[in-house]
Amino acid sequence: MSIEKGKISSQQLLFLIAGFVQGSALLIDFAVGITEHQTWMVIIAGLIITAPVVLSYVLLSKMFPGMNLIQINDMVYGPFLGKAVSLYYIFFFMMTLSFNVRDVGELYMTFLVEDMPFVFLLVVFAATCAYAATKGLEVLARISHLFVVSGLFVIISNFILLIDQMDFSNFLPLFELPFIRIFQGIHIMSVIPFGETVVFLMIMGCLNRTELAAKSTFFGLLIGAVSLLGVAVRNTAVLGKTQTIWTSTSFQSIRLINIGTVLTRMDFLVGIAQTVLVFLKCSIFFYVLSAALGQLFGLTSYLPLVLPIAGIEVIIAATVFQSPVDHAMITQNAGIIYSVPLIFIFPLLSIVIARIRGLPKPEGGKEA
Amino acid sequence: MRKKTCLSMVKLVLYFFMMLTLSGCLGAREINDLEIVIGMGVDKGEGGQISLTAQIVNVSSSGGGPSSSGGGGEGKPFWNVSSKGDSIFEAVRQITHMTGNRLFISHNQAVIFGNDIAAEGLQKYLDFFLRAHEMRPTALILVAEDKASDVMDAKPETEKYPALNIAKLVETYGFTSHLYKVNMKDFASSLMSGTTAQIAPLLSIVKEEESEDIYVSGMVVFKDGKMVGKLNHDEARGLLWVLGKVESGVLDVSLPDGKGKAILEIMKAKGQVTPVMEDDKIAFQIKIKAETSLSEQTTTENLATNEMFEKIQEASAEIIHQEIMAAFDKSKEFNADIFGFGEMLHKKYSEQWKKIEKNWDEIYPTIQLNINAETKIIKTDLLKKPVSPKKEEK
Amino acid sequence: MIFLLLIYAFILIINVPGLIKRKEWRELAAFSFLYVIAFALGLMYVLDIPIPSPMKGLQHLIVDIFGIEYPQG
Repeated sequence: MSIEKGKISSQQLLFLIAGFVQGSALLIDFAVGITEHQTWMVIIAGLIITAPVVLSYVLLSKMFPGMNLIQINDMVYGPFLGKAVSLYYIFFFMMTLSFNVRDVGELYMTFLVEDMPFVFLLVVFAATCAYAATKGLEVLARISHLFVVSGLFVIISNFILLIDQMDFSNFLPLFELPFIRIFQGIHIMSVIPFGETVVFLMIMGCLNRTELAAKSTFFGLLIGAVSLLGVAVRNTAVLGKTQTIWTSTSFQSIRLINIGTVLTRMDFLVGIAQTVLVFLKCSIFFYVLSAALGQLFGLTSYLPLVLPIAGIEVIIAATVFQSPVDHAMITQNAGIIYSVPLIFIFPLLSIVIARIRGLPKPEGGKEA
Repeated sequence: MRKKTCLSMVKLVLYFFMMLTLSGCLGAREINDLEIVIGMGVDKGEGGQISLTAQIVNVSSSGGGPSSSGGGGEGKPFWNVSSKGDSIFEAVRQITHMTGNRLFISHNQAVIFGNDIAAEGLQKYLDFFLRAHEMRPTALILVAEDKASDVMDAKPETEKYPALNIAKLVETYGFTSHLYKVNMKDFASSLMSGTTAQIAPLLSIVKEEESEDIYVSGMVVFKDGKMVGKLNHDEARGLLWVLGKVESGVLDVSLPDGKGKAILEIMKAKGQVTPVMEDDKIAFQIKIKAETSLSEQTTTENLATNEMFEKIQEASAEIIHQEIMAAFDKSKEFNADIFGFGEMLHKKYSEQWKKIEKNWDEIYPTIQLNINAETKIIKTDLLKKPVSPKKEEK
Repeated sequence: MIFLLLIYAFILIINVPGLIKRKEWRELAAFSFLYVIAFALGLMYVLDIPIPSPMKGLQHLIVDIFGIEYPQG
């Protein structure tokens, strides 16, 4: 009944989640403008707040073995309401995917290739991700190992290369900013890198053995969080007060690497690393979106849907915002607010309702 | 079966096509289309405009000996192009009227601001250098004593390009520690602090009969981007002592009994600053620890004894003390917090800092410095005793 | 423009024959539905017809109607 026939192991789940969170490494720039040198705190706080929520996804998935989010929604909320909830989720997937694709485009447009037509970049990137999504979940799971390890390698090596330019007094004073900013920062962090893992509700149904699911999920989140921390700490220590003025803090940090006149001009490294990590994140998104739509329409295979979805996503990515400024302003406000119900409320609600209604019923009549 | 091979043929053609079109990028620029800029100078032009000078590498030149004629000669390995504009970006694009190609500023080593611009205020002109995506934050920022374009013309003896020469001069500040290297990011960082004064090396030209030489004559102090004063070599080193950035240098110690001098080379130096705030009195404990070596002495007396070392160490500590106080006094003259004391207070006493931040200009001259300098002579190079005739009585 | 047509023709060629042959009508229907939307959006983009941004609408909804907003700056 489920649209995905493949199975993944819990270790693969770990790496998928870690790579997914790592893909948001440059997205912490959204918070840096707000929380400045306290960004590291906000990341840790975001992890602490979201980790239990994500573990609840695992619980929900265990209660409905082998089923993905759309099926669960149908069972818990009934055929009509369930589809409505699923549509809300699908809207979220579509929008978030377009933000991420657009982000890659903006990165390239600002830093690397100024003259290229924006849409072209988006098409190439989206096409690659879509292609990866058509290969199926098992393939994505297998390659996630590689990406996570290389991502960690890049983050650690950049950190080491910049050690002589770091000034750790930049982290003082420790608790300077007004609480509302910290709150907004925590909100951003819990939604964007960690909360987006709600997409894994589409994937957790495919675990072949669910005993280690909770541990794998937690460690995946942890690895992702450590990567994000590495980036945030490096940027704050190196750039200090100037963190808030650059369009992309990670890029500027890397540009400062100047060792022995040989290791200079390394900004392409950030470009490559980021592209690769966001590629993994977007491929997962494409897969999840296609599978969700496929499940919603009751199809047996999601494959034919991937390319048209890619087409839609590219156009949305190209038109949804006018400029990086727009993107930042909306993301820091409406963007994180409308996704809060999806990430925090609905899964927990589903667990409660399912418990009350005694779902899943072993056979026959599942809804009133 | 036939379908399969047909499909793979189509795929093959498609891949080939993709390879041809997708690799490479639209914005590619070939090397001979680039005007590689290695230094930029900003001066004030007539009518309130900016005069921008860009030093471009002459790629096709054979790099022959320096020609005596002015700019544009074939033997010259570089070309200083000037243009005028109402803003830096406009001036940069105006240069294409003369070069025909866009400037490629990724290799820009240094940005030199003329005296007039520095006096007016750099804030207005910095934005381009920070925002332009080809500029690197590692580019150095300097001030010329008079006009930046003159400094960029002065032909160095051992280096082909003036801009590279200038960059080298500043990067090797460690040999004397009489100046400090300031790059774009550092300057921006201190600008963003409301209280720290910015500094930049000052370039002067020494004219002899035929040749002109550039040298760094000190540091310029800015407040909010406006030049307010200069530091000479000793004062600059005083600043570096406090910041802990002294790498090497020469300490000229006059012997207490007036017999001669001991000249010490600084091997290592560490500086630690601790702000202390009691009630309303602000003081800074500055601890300097330096390791030196005896590199030269002008007296025939043997200085390599423990007592003499003690005396010399005391005397050199006194010199360090003086240099720091000189720097501090000079900074009080312009009321510019070059040491970043304000920020140190901010980091340690953030609550109180919020109240006094606005009045930092009045408070700065009243702060106390408690300097504790310690030097150790750790070696005497190759001589154990100085060259001196044997005396009958010992 | 040509690019657009080429890409969409390509998508069509890759997907449709397989679907028809395997008689997967439901899949074909879903595919066509999405395909038409994608193509329409692409056309609108190429012809410079302004496409309304869902996020702008959402921002308007959340900020102006619900009044939830973080203080700026």
